[in-house]
Amino acid sequence: MRLTLCAAAALLALPASAEEFRWASTTDPQTMDPHAVSSTPVLGFLNNVYEGLVRRGKDMSIEPALATAWEPIDDGAGWRFTLREDVTFHDGADFTAEDVVFSYERASSEQSDVSSWFAPVSEVVAVDDYTVDIMTTSPQPLFPDSIANWMMMDSGWAAENGAERPARDEENAATLQANGTAAFRLEERQPGLSTVLVPFEGWWGEPEHNVTRAEFTPIQNSATAVAALLSGEVDMINPVPVQDAARLDEADGVEVIRGIEARVIMLGFAHDHDTLTGGADQGADNPFSDPLVRRAVAHAVNVPAILQTIMRGSAEPASQLVGHGMSGYSEANSERPEYDPERARELLAEAGYPDGFGFGFSCTNDRYLNDESVCQAVVSMLAQVGLEAQLNAMPVQNYWPELRAGNFDMYLLGWSPGTFDAEHPLRFLVHTAGERLGTWNFGGYSNDRIDELLPQIQSELDPEARQAMLDETARIIQEDAVYVPLYIQPLLWGVQENVSLTQRPDDFFILRWVTVE
Amino acid sequence: MLSFILRRVLQSVLVLLVTGLVAFAMFRYVGDPVDTMLGQERTVADIERLRENLGLNDPFFVQYWDFLGRAVQGDFGISYRQGRPVGEIIAERLPATLELAAVSGVFALGFGIVLGIFTAIRRRGTAANVIMTLSLIGVSLPTFLIGILLIYVFSVELGWLPSYGRGEVTWVSGWPTGFLTSSGLSALILPAITLGLYQMTLIMRLVRSEMLEVLRTDYIRFARARGLRDRTVHFRHALKNTLVPVITVTGLQLGSIIAFAIITETVFQWPGVGLLFINAIQFVDIPVMAAYLMLISVMFVGINLVVDLLYVAIDPRLRAEGKAA
Repeated sequence: MRLTLCAAAALLALPASAEEFRWASTTDPQTMDPHAVSSTPVLGFLNNVYEGLVRRGKDMSIEPALATAWEPIDDGAGWRFTLREDVTFHDGADFTAEDVVFSYERASSEQSDVSSWFAPVSEVVAVDDYTVDIMTTSPQPLFPDSIANWMMMDSGWAAENGAERPARDEENAATLQANGTAAFRLEERQPGLSTVLVPFEGWWGEPEHNVTRAEFTPIQNSATAVAALLSGEVDMINPVPVQDAARLDEADGVEVIRGIEARVIMLGFAHDHDTLTGGADQGADNPFSDPLVRRAVAHAVNVPAILQTIMRGSAEPASQLVGHGMSGYSEANSERPEYDPERARELLAEAGYPDGFGFGFSCTNDRYLNDESVCQAVVSMLAQVGLEAQLNAMPVQNYWPELRAGNFDMYLLGWSPGTFDAEHPLRFLVHTAGERLGTWNFGGYSNDRIDELLPQIQSELDPEARQAMLDETARIIQEDAVYVPLYIQPLLWGVQENVSLTQRPDDFFILRWVTVE
Repeated sequence: MLSFILRRVLQSVLVLLVTGLVAFAMFRYVGDPVDTMLGQERTVADIERLRENLGLNDPFFVQYWDFLGRAVQGDFGISYRQGRPVGEIIAERLPATLELAAVSGVFALGFGIVLGIFTAIRRRGTAANVIMTLSLIGVSLPTFLIGILLIYVFSVELGWLPSYGRGEVTWVSGWPTGFLTSSGLSALILPAITLGLYQMTLIMRLVRSEMLEVLRTDYIRFARARGLRDRTVHFRHALKNTLVPVITVTGLQLGSIIAFAIITETVFQWPGVGLLFINAIQFVDIPVMAAYLMLISVMFVGINLVVDLLYVAIDPRLRAEGKAA
């Protein structure tokens, strides 16, 4: 009797065939429009439905997708892409060069959230049905790497459905429907409830997966998501809360897949403020404009202890603004400043603050994994060398306006390089703040040498010369302690043991790599 | 009577307007929606342009006035997060919340009354004392914890009930209902208990104390003296007189069941308006927050209005006062 009940319960829990795959994540992709929102939940999800000219493989390397080959034109005037010929969209229309031109116009329009990818592009020309030239204003050696998430939409479908422009300020057909070329097509979309994908029979590639139907559900509360995984109602959850990972390791039938994300968590400083804005010494001269003080902070924070206690051994220490494995990572600067409170005190004394000082430390409490706990730990570590940080933790929606308004002396920042290249943080975090460059350089750091090197790095075609320049910038940033990189945020996914999948550092979940046994 | 109703309706409208004003004054403290709407590669000019387009640079009362102007025409704006009309989104989500509220209301009322009578009649019994003690736990444990506890017992350990979601829904004349499928019904059980537990203990304690009061009155004593059976005395004579305050309280609690479903909906990923509201707060989705708050205040004001009118209908003294004023 008992056995029958168990069997019945098992049948209830798994109603369909084993190849039906269900997964859950905290955030629902807010739109199905591939050009309206540039965020990981949206781009990651839509990578299963739409495809770009190129795509990233399991190791993040660029590989052919809708383009079979590409080559630079005339020493950096642009790039020529040769398109795949047997590709159809989910509605049956053929994929041709005209769709590429249309997708460029759509993705670079004013309503688009991804238009910055096309900042160096002057023109996109359809040479013939299967050849496209993308002309750039300056040599762009890494252009193919930067467009892996530029997804192709059918011009005919968009025109028929009134979706010629990204649906950002108003709803259009692309908000709830999708018509891509990828291995899965969108069967059902109920925002915030469930989104169903089924394999696309006419896909050009050779499927590696054995999924017959995949359903995504957002589960906002992480305790509920863990329960749903344990009870077998979902096959995969992302993320697993750091504090639950050990428990899931011990549970039967499920496992935790660990990796590191591309996101580096770091401390930033007010470089160009005249006075301190918070803490006990509010109004006094700003000590953080002195590199000695910033280096003292770097030596005072015990990163291994933070990783062991708060991140439970899941994260890795960071030495520079990108993690190893990203292109342009500087091997020459892979040593991070050691934990050495004595040295920190010496540096402070040398800078003229033998007794330390009090200041304001801004931090998010809902943006990065355990961000507030990390900040609290940093506060107590700094206190040991005489730095009295007054912690000001707030939700991320209040955080960015505060940082833009300059209400901080030191702050926590996480940065994930969108191009997976070391040039990306230079452009946004380190270059002198301006209209297009240095837009996240809240502290107002400015270094002429870095500003001079950045355009050269962007257009250098020789990999070795490029790396040499990147090494130089990494060294300057480390010596100057522009930022103090702390650690690389971990990726923790929970899966049923009968599921095999691939975890990529950009936190994209790629359905075509899933097999269910 | 007519002037009383008119006065009440006018007061209600005023309350609504003030609620909206307070809500709009608060939105700026929730944060800035622009950062979550734009990707990390946005420029300063993008931020400014979007702020201008959304009207976020206007003072809050101007934003409120614009909202009201459109709301009276039935247009609640476009959700910042989803880019879809807010009216449509709320209409999609409301059935889930209403069904959950109805089921937990029935659960609270049914069990509350039965257990209340039981604990009043068997005042000194062991079972009654155990129930009273347990009800204290029910009142003092936070909803969040009760929900998680139920999930771990009934979904993870026993595997009887689903831990999240609404199960399969069927569409009955434009209304998505979970009442008609077995997965929909089993998905209702845990959230309904979680949401209704507090109300149940409240009603139980109210029924119990009212019942104890009534049982001490003279007419009950005389009924017993007449030799009527216990059951007749308890259910025919005593119960009827305890129910008047219970009905009033239940009416008022109905509003709070809908409004406070937020936590239960978050724990069980129940796709109702409460979950929508939580999402809206995290994203600073001002149009959705505004519409939800207005909806909830319309509901509360409406329920209060009906209760007031019922009082007038029942109690002639209030009518006389209305005239005098």
